[in-house]
Amino acid sequence: MSILTVEHISKNFGALQAVDDISFEINQGDIVGFLGKNGAGKTTLMRMITSFLATSSGKIFIDGDDITKHSLTIRQKIGYLPETPPLYTNMTVLQYLKFAAEIKGVSSKKQAIQIAKVLEECHLEHVKFKSISTLSKGYKQRVGIAQAIIHEPKLLILDEPTSGLDPMQIQQVLALINNQREQRTVLMSTHTLPEIEKIAQRILMIKSGQLVIDESLDTLLTRRIITESTGSSEIQSSQSKPLTLEQVFIDYHQDQSQTQKVSSN
Amino acid sequence: MNKVLALTKKELHSYFSSPIAYIILIFSLSLFNILFFMIIDQNREVSLRDIFQVMEFMFIFIIPLLTMKLFAEEKANGTMEFLLTSPLTPTMIVLGKYLSMLIFYSLLIGLTGVYYFIVEYFGNPDPYSILSGYVGIWLEGAFFIAIGLLTSSWTRNQVIAAMTSYLILFLLYFSITFTKYFTGFAENFLIQFSTRTHLENFAIGMITANDVIYYLSGILLCLVLTRLSIDHRLWQ
Repeated sequence: MSILTVEHISKNFGALQAVDDISFEINQGDIVGFLGKNGAGKTTLMRMITSFLATSSGKIFIDGDDITKHSLTIRQKIGYLPETPPLYTNMTVLQYLKFAAEIKGVSSKKQAIQIAKVLEECHLEHVKFKSISTLSKGYKQRVGIAQAIIHEPKLLILDEPTSGLDPMQIQQVLALINNQREQRTVLMSTHTLPEIEKIAQRILMIKSGQLVIDESLDTLLTRRIITESTGSSEIQSSQSKPLTLEQVFIDYHQDQSQTQKVSSN
Repeated sequence: MNKVLALTKKELHSYFSSPIAYIILIFSLSLFNILFFMIIDQNREVSLRDIFQVMEFMFIFIIPLLTMKLFAEEKANGTMEFLLTSPLTPTMIVLGKYLSMLIFYSLLIGLTGVYYFIVEYFGNPDPYSILSGYVGIWLEGAFFIAIGLLTSSWTRNQVIAAMTSYLILFLLYFSITFTKYFTGFAENFLIQFSTRTHLENFAIGMITANDVIYYLSGILLCLVLTRLSIDHRLWQ
């Protein structure tokens, strides 16, 4: 069943077309890697899905509801971590999570249970009384994820959750995201390609505001991109050495002429 | 309502976990106390009328310092995105923040309540005119806070937010001084536009519908404009 449906979404900022007629669906329980160069339109698209930004055209449905008509209900179903974790650094981890639970409508009876649950899930128990300002970047990222899941959303949207982290912290954050697989659908943008290969089932790639890849990870990595002088095409090939996501990403971005818009189907 | 109160608590926590709340409280009360004793000593009157007018003038400078961070800081830190993507309406966000400032301001005003007991010790003051003066200064502060909230929603820079508030508050306060250059409707408009006209009535114990409506409509207008300002940014 589809948890997120994006239908012909476009977004213009004046003359700039940030997102250009993108359509896709995400099914419940998937972990979807959302790739693209900086400035490709990933954050803009994620902000439209979270209803932070309005679309210029097109429709977005979450769990069957149109986000323009049921904005509040839909925000209850979404957990969102922007690129910079939205933290109040003068609060302790516990105070911040309590505040997040309150504004996200977690009932007062369930608040203590939910806070304890996310503290455990995100391995934050031993820092719960610490001021957020004193935490390392890795811990701050985990607090950001904890606030995003505290109200048990169906869809978790993470904008570059591993950005600026060291390799150990990346492993910890990705393990945490991987653990969400059974409870919720995850759409995450990232530049950590070797790592996303380990946890994602599906890849969306955006280039200059257009969706150029929408495939399962397995299918994508058994394809080979052949560029011809007249344009580009994709053919199935059996290879002794499978492609890596990094290779696919580089191939797609090396030559502007390779852009192929994925059909809305 | 629970979400509004959660935001209010968060704002108050933010003020009281930094030195700013204590500095503003101590600075304001010290200044009011000095001026109170100077005025009482000079006038030899058992009335707080003049102190209310001094407080009004001081609040033009103090309140923008309180309100400048309300939205500007959230925008600068990226937490505005967190609030706007949470299941909160812009109205809840505006009310939560406004309520927190009203509570802080009421505390500040409440602490000056001791002045009544001091003047009562020396004479026989009219409690109703003092009460009406407090109602007036509270309404005026509530109006100033709403203006500060609005200007803070326009920018991510706290200094710009404070400066814009000062500009609006100076216009409101000093507009009455320009009446000598105008006649008829313009003169009457400037008199009605100025906060000084309206507080004067409260300070002498007169609560009129005209003055109450002036403050309440000003507050409502600023809150509605703040909400629209957030909405506009949300859907731009």
